[in-house]
Amino acid sequence: MAVTPEFKRDLLATIPSLRAFAVSLTQNSDKADDLVQETLVKAWDKHASFQMGTNLKAWLFTILRNEFYSQMRKRGREVQDSEGVMTERLAVHPSQHGKLDLADFRGALEQLPEDQREAIILIGASGFSYEEAAEICNCAVGTIKSRVSRARTRLQDILKISGEADYGPDAISSQVMGSNAA
Amino acid sequence: MGRICALRGRGRSEQRVRIGNIVISTKDNVASAGSAVRAKDSTDPLGVSSEIGRKLKQYYDELVSDDVPDRFAQLLSQLEAAEMARKED
Repeated sequence: MAVTPEFKRDLLATIPSLRAFAVSLTQNSDKADDLVQETLVKAWDKHASFQMGTNLKAWLFTILRNEFYSQMRKRGREVQDSEGVMTERLAVHPSQHGKLDLADFRGALEQLPEDQREAIILIGASGFSYEEAAEICNCAVGTIKSRVSRARTRLQDILKISGEADYGPDAISSQVMGSNAA
Repeated sequence: MGRICALRGRGRSEQRVRIGNIVISTKDNVASAGSAVRAKDSTDPLGVSSEIGRKLKQYYDELVSDDVPDRFAQLLSQLEAAEMARKED
């Protein structure tokens, strides 16, 4: 079956999101673009296995994520620390008046373990539901919820944010964890 | 065949559709959708009320709005051309 013009158009339209997700995973824009390129080639080859009418973005994110982890395994997981990104940015200074600088935030995000970072990005930024994120990461919905919760707590610790808005971290993590049972 | 007509309740967002003797009201659906939205706003741990939620979106939106290099459109055109060539063989 040939690739339809609609499929190609939809692929093109998803590239900005794919690149954003790839940068979030790799922390490096060159590596991210290589990852997106691999993803597009794979998606093109596997287009027959995509079910029209289902979520193309989620399907592409799944391919990109699988590609990322298979590359990491090949390189023996030396990817992140090899450029000293982690050590260099360990220190984040307390922000003034509780207003966070975007660079500080980026630095904090880089300190998260991959599984937590991808979970909080998928849920908090890419607009996926917990169910979709679980499918993309090939894990249980409860696992995504706890990763998001841990990522959030970790970011708060790194950035020294306490008592977020009206909702304290304890109330929120118990709310997130509580809904696991459902 | 039954007549189909729409009635609008006065001063509320209810919409009723009459098909023959059956009246379908949208009122309940509207009300529950509204409260679902409100519930999400106030309990979403990464919602607008959260500094981390806001920064996360700002970080990501900045990445999404980055200019996309031409290489990707070129790549898809190459894949398309390769497929055409295969079909003609």
